Amino acid sequence: MIMNSFNDILKAAKHSGARRIVIPSPAREDIDVLSRAAASGLVIPRFIGETKSLKAIVGKSPLFPAGAEIISADDPQDALNLAIEQLKKGETDILMQGGINPQVLLDTLQDKSTGLKTSRTISYVSLFQHFSKDKLMLVTDTFCNNFPHVAEKQGILENALNLARTLGMEAPKVAVLAAIEQVNPAIASTLDAAILSKMSDRGQFGKATVEGPLDIDCAVSRAAAERKGLHSIVTGDVDIYVVPEIDTGYLFAESLAFFGKMRSAGVVLGTSSPVIINLPFISADDKAVEIALACLMCRKGKNHG
Amino acid sequence: MTMIRKLGDFAKLAREKGPKKMVVLAPEDNDFMMAIKKSHELGYIEPILVGDKKRIAEAAQKVDFNIGSFRKISEEDKQSISDLGIRMLFSGETPIAGKGQIPTSYIYRSIIREEAKANSGMTVSVVSLWEVPGIDHLIAFTDTGVSIKPNMKAKKEIIQNAVFVFHLLGYTRPKIAVLSGQREVGGTMASYRDYEALKIEADEGKFGDCEIIPATSFTEIFLAGKKRTGDEKNVRKDCVPHILIVPCLDTGNIICKLDFFLNVKRSSLVATSRGPVCIPSRSDKSHNLVEQISMGVVLADHMERKKKVQK
Repeated sequence: MIMNSFNDILKAAKHSGARRIVIPSPAREDIDVLSRAAASGLVIPRFIGETKSLKAIVGKSPLFPAGAEIISADDPQDALNLAIEQLKKGETDILMQGGINPQVLLDTLQDKSTGLKTSRTISYVSLFQHFSKDKLMLVTDTFCNNFPHVAEKQGILENALNLARTLGMEAPKVAVLAAIEQVNPAIASTLDAAILSKMSDRGQFGKATVEGPLDIDCAVSRAAAERKGLHSIVTGDVDIYVVPEIDTGYLFAESLAFFGKMRSAGVVLGTSSPVIINLPFISADDKAVEIALACLMCRKGKNHG
Repeated sequence: MTMIRKLGDFAKLAREKGPKKMVVLAPEDNDFMMAIKKSHELGYIEPILVGDKKRIAEAAQKVDFNIGSFRKISEEDKQSISDLGIRMLFSGETPIAGKGQIPTSYIYRSIIREEAKANSGMTVSVVSLWEVPGIDHLIAFTDTGVSIKPNMKAKKEIIQNAVFVFHLLGYTRPKIAVLSGQREVGGTMASYRDYEALKIEADEGKFGDCEIIPATSFTEIFLAGKKRTGDEKNVRKDCVPHILIVPCLDTGNIICKLDFFLNVKRSSLVATSRGPVCIPSRSDKSHNLVEQISMGVVLADHMERKKKVQK
């Protein structure tokens, strides 16, 4: 079944049973969010950090659930290493950033021997709930990669397609964005977009339609696309937006959040376990959606990227 | 001069200030010709039509527009049409130029040549104005059309052009944000280094009456250090800067045309040293085109007045 809203994600996750989530050096807010998620049966948390202070915070949390564990670690790096070890052993299912520096976390995930990377590229997807209709929109990469070249973009797209399929989109429609809809050798993003689109024509992304380059007006409006003589089933009904680079990706995601007032969630892809990280424009309410999303990715039982 | 806070304000002012002569380049499409017709009927413009005579006549006929009384110049080559129109703007023959069915790159080329001849020192950049519900002034994204990857020098010129436009719109000391994808990971972005360097120059007064604010992301602008909550109570709209300098063309173009999706209104133009050039997107509809023309008329008027004062 296709999920069209954040509520659909929450509902589906609740049906799939509790997952074990591990949080190195958790902050107060993490504990609040996880207490609620645990109370609703989504997750069983495992906190790793300085036991005494954790017990003090956790003890105060009114919703703190049975089954949650606290494991001792001396410093954040130890806590992270321990968390990753447990994920690798299959003792836990989901990783949450907790108090780990985001760059340290990404570097650790990427590490070939100790990390969790399982696909071509580790990437981040922002998920938006459409402001006026029942539809989810994926935007990627909005956090991890600065200036991905075409092979990395292929990985970023593959990761997003896997997530889209987890959300029930059988044949996702993808817009690879650029400043213009024509291929212009002077604008590198249009070349990458054209390559990805051609790969899709050749069936390299499975059941999906990848259109690019598309400028934003053609992507979001069928009528605008037709006026430019661009005919495609993707226009006006995009499931996944692939952005050219991070300046665009980050600011585009923020634009949807603030100018579009759209609810936003996200998750790291391309790792053997789902990883939830803290983005500044995601509300605590929507953090619960991220946890639910991560649970659904576990249900699939294989890597997410 | 009163501050123009809404795109709708241009309509009223354009009726007062018009009609102004506008050289219209290749008006060969129905939507665009309809916009010229409406702008003429509203008293904004007196068009001079340049392009393929037959196609212009056909488009006019289709939208039931009697163009018999207007000056027409026959020309078929795209670059020649563009050169001719922009030359008319720079020679002072018309205070506004507007683009129809010609790729914008031809227009940019013509403007760059004329600015060089006029030795104005002005670069070509596109300013895309947004009207956003809840924000009590216009905001502009720039450069949304010309520089693919502007370097520091180009960004300085882009800032100067935008400040010039905002002064014309009655904003005495516009606030500017130099945007960047800078975040907690990925090291220091080039766009962020540009912000740091440009801020120093702005603080030294190098861009005249304007201010670069210490924020490079919408999170910083709208949340100012607070957390986003489900009820959006921490989102503040009273500190949004007037000018948003985008890191590159992809970013600018993709965000500024979100008016096709979000509840915002957009109007874009190029401000040259001699007058505004309306450069509607090929996908813009006629009501939006009329608004862009009204903005051109008002800016042309303000530029003319400014020149008179300077003389």
